[in-house]
Amino acid sequence: MILNYIKIAWRNLAKQKLYSLINISGLAVGLAVCMMIMMYVAHEMSYDRFHKNADRIFTPNVPMSYASAPLIKQNQPLVEAYMRTLPYFNENPVVVSDPSSPAKKFAEDKLLFADPGFFTFFSFKLLSGSASDVLSKPFTVVLSRDMAKKYFGTQDPIGKTLVIKTDSAYTYQVTGVAENAPSNSSISFSFVTSCQSLLVMKQASRYGVGPQQMTYGTFNVYLQVKQAADTARLVKGIAMMAKKNKVFDEVKFSFTALPDTHLKSGAGDSSNIKYLKIFPLVAVLILLLALVNYMSLSTARATLRAKEVGVRKVSGASRKTIATQFYVESALFTVLSFALGYLLCYLITPWFLNIIQLKIDNSFFYSPIVLTLLLGLLVITALIAGSYPSLVLSRFNPVVTLKGKMSKQAGGITVRKIFTTLQFTISVGLIICGIIIDRQLYYFRHTDTGINKDNVIMIPIANSLGENYPAFKHDIQSLGGISNVATSHYAMFKGIDMFYVNGKTKDENVWIVSVIANSQFITTLGLKWKYPPAPNTELASRKKIIINEAAIGQLHLPSNPIGAFIKTGNEQIEIAGVLKNFNFSSMEYAIQPMALSIINDTSAFYKRRGCNLFAKIESHTNIPALINSMQGIYKKYDSDAPFSYTFMDDAFNEQYKAEDRLASIFSIFTYITVILATLGLFGLAAFTIEQRTKEIGIRKVLGASIASINALLSQDFLKLVLLAIVIASPIAWWAMHNWLQGFAYRITISWWVFAAAGFVAILTAIITVSYHAIRAAIANPVNSLRSE
Amino acid sequence: MIKITDLEKFYRTEEVETIALNKLSIEVKKGEFVAIMGPSGCGKSTLLNILGMLDDPDSGSYVFNGVEVAHFTERKRADLRKHNIGFVFQSFNLIDELTVFENVELPLIYTGVPSAERVKRVEEVLDKMQIMHRRNHYPQQLSGGQQQRVAISRAVVNKPKLILADEPTGNLDSSNGNEVMELLTDLNEQGTTIIMVTHSEHDARYSHRIIRLLDGQTVVENIMI
Repeated sequence: MILNYIKIAWRNLAKQKLYSLINISGLAVGLAVCMMIMMYVAHEMSYDRFHKNADRIFTPNVPMSYASAPLIKQNQPLVEAYMRTLPYFNENPVVVSDPSSPAKKFAEDKLLFADPGFFTFFSFKLLSGSASDVLSKPFTVVLSRDMAKKYFGTQDPIGKTLVIKTDSAYTYQVTGVAENAPSNSSISFSFVTSCQSLLVMKQASRYGVGPQQMTYGTFNVYLQVKQAADTARLVKGIAMMAKKNKVFDEVKFSFTALPDTHLKSGAGDSSNIKYLKIFPLVAVLILLLALVNYMSLSTARATLRAKEVGVRKVSGASRKTIATQFYVESALFTVLSFALGYLLCYLITPWFLNIIQLKIDNSFFYSPIVLTLLLGLLVITALIAGSYPSLVLSRFNPVVTLKGKMSKQAGGITVRKIFTTLQFTISVGLIICGIIIDRQLYYFRHTDTGINKDNVIMIPIANSLGENYPAFKHDIQSLGGISNVATSHYAMFKGIDMFYVNGKTKDENVWIVSVIANSQFITTLGLKWKYPPAPNTELASRKKIIINEAAIGQLHLPSNPIGAFIKTGNEQIEIAGVLKNFNFSSMEYAIQPMALSIINDTSAFYKRRGCNLFAKIESHTNIPALINSMQGIYKKYDSDAPFSYTFMDDAFNEQYKAEDRLASIFSIFTYITVILATLGLFGLAAFTIEQRTKEIGIRKVLGASIASINALLSQDFLKLVLLAIVIASPIAWWAMHNWLQGFAYRITISWWVFAAAGFVAILTAIITVSYHAIRAAIANPVNSLRSE
Repeated sequence: MIKITDLEKFYRTEEVETIALNKLSIEVKKGEFVAIMGPSGCGKSTLLNILGMLDDPDSGSYVFNGVEVAHFTERKRADLRKHNIGFVFQSFNLIDELTVFENVELPLIYTGVPSAERVKRVEEVLDKMQIMHRRNHYPQQLSGGQQQRVAISRAVVNKPKLILADEPTGNLDSSNGNEVMELLTDLNEQGTTIIMVTHSEHDARYSHRIIRLLDGQTVVENIMI
């Protein structure tokens, strides 16, 4: 019997090519988007679950000192094992070279210091070397597969050496090669070297290996407990230890299970967490739209199948058998759509991952979890897709259908109207959201932030430039096309430091942002004075500071605080000037209190820590040539650290990459929903109009014009679209109002956004319906009247 | 075989109630060939639908093979129908997407006849109806007469006790119409009870008895000699 069902389904599919195409491709697009997002969400949710003991490994919410983990293990019998890792951090890049060809050197990231048992504690696969002793000695290193290939090609790297320059250059022996960390690992590495190496480094104290007690530090600590349920007792035990040491008294101490660290600890890319909330919702909406399309078209076509249902019923089919038949038919359509959807998903996923800047291992796409999810999606889609059509079709009364008296309104016309309204509600809603997101991003980019960020190049300076910085800066300033040069500790929008100022009471500390720069910083960036310093004030002094307007209130200062003092610890600092507020970080946040300390270019601070050079470029300068010259000068003074640069406006825009990606994805989703809704309307209009051919013929014979017939046929659909606009507008307004609340600087939602979205929807509907309506209206009425 | 007593059927709209069958009582014996005649709207088709268990009466009794079926559920009616009744329609009602063979095979699928047995029985019937050579054709590739032969094949393939024919020659020319009537007569002679609705006095003459209806009631019964 099933074969009979499949046979007739296939013949119907082949007979009604256009509708089959609309049905299958529409559902395939919905499924493709759904699959893609499902894989993305599954990937985000699967972080760190590949470790054998993932459920028993916990990590505290604060990084700790080197001594902390052994102390905890010693005092807490619940802890079976511990692991410490330190992802190398510094303003200066890590430079790696092969001593056999020293000229071949690369700046690298992902250098990870770890305890010797790293490859036994975690489940990273070791391709060569022994897991228990690859990191047992200082200055041993395990390379990722990619790095082994990069530095040693096809040769066996075991036993060979690499020079890795961190604060200084050290020679490491390669003891192992590990498989690249999977894309769903929160711990990533290119090089894993022994923590013991840190202890003997020149600047060991910088890495927090000093304190011999349990306290804050720089090490990520992982504790493996005997049972996952032990963590509550462990937190209590560690809190007791902390109390004894008088640390962690301000921090609420907690643990996160390893698989939860990616999403819960805030360690992951926060933009992905944002997507994780929005995308599944959008995926469900798009799939719903595609399913609604399918059901709507299938039931519209039902009138053509009415006779068949009648014949089957008089031949002995029960309602259940008919329902089963249409379920099998839907399942066939779903399988075809699924196959096409999978192909589409395969083609668009790399593009999608590129936009959200995420890498997912190819192997993940064929993992059991993804295959199970795909199967689940197929089953659910088939079940939903078949549900309504089989319900409607199996209900047909054979007495009516066999007499050919099937009502043209039959087959769930009301439900189809609801479906069309729903489709356009989703489309209009997404169009509104898309416009608002776009407007907000435009606002970010074009609002006066108080900084003149155009034509400013920022060059990071490594400490290896050292004493040569003033000379380098002088050479840059002498280049043609450079109008101004300045120095600061960090590049703009790339990092900040904070320091505290004593508050009114003894216990109150006010944390404010600290910017350290030279005196040209203010003019180069075009910052404006609120209260300028008195003439001839020497600003480059530890005893003087410049603040912004936001700091006045926060520090309880008089409205013109020039000459007033603030105190940090025991140190008194005089306020020498007040700058007008400017956005030194993302406009997502309100402007924080800030203090600018002026230090000269010759300061040891820059020599020790490195700094950033700002070069303001005159307009109409040949920028590529200028950058080339800058690179030449840089290489003259520093052959170690690679030359790099950023434009300040790019760095500013980079802050909105999460919103940018959201806008890109959103616009694509919007196009897809509009296409799906249009496709659905196209199919539905074709059917409805086809059924009214006789009426159109009669009207034409009686003198109706093409325009009046078009208007008559279009108005039914337009009413539904208007209803959709009315429903979608408040929902979209509410959603976007909430989204905008997340930004300190935001647009107000204007009425024209709704009008524009409505206009797009109406125009789409008119064009779609008119195509069929005009075709029907210009047909010869003699033919249409003969058609019945 | 069939006994209906005081059968009533109404069609209601919001404002109007139409009586289709008005306390109609009829009896049809096993092996009879009965023609039902009457003007349009007299209730012929309604009666046939109720006899075929495609529709249920509003009141009255319908005894089929000794079982009261007037208020059977749709499922029970479907079950009884598929084993006992074959239908022949004026407009043939073949499924366009199925071949001749597949159309005839359909009732056997629903009664759960195994595949090999189905092939045998369908071929037997097609052979008997002389359309075996058209077994792989689709309905639209056949003439009206051939289509009705297929429809009759489908009606008899399950060896039903009763065949209900609703104006079986209405869409055919006289030559094809006569052929169809001959086929029905043959089936009746082999023991199948036939009830046929018709407008044609010519066709009605093939039957044993004519029941004439008017406004949902029997007005006269003619016994054919």
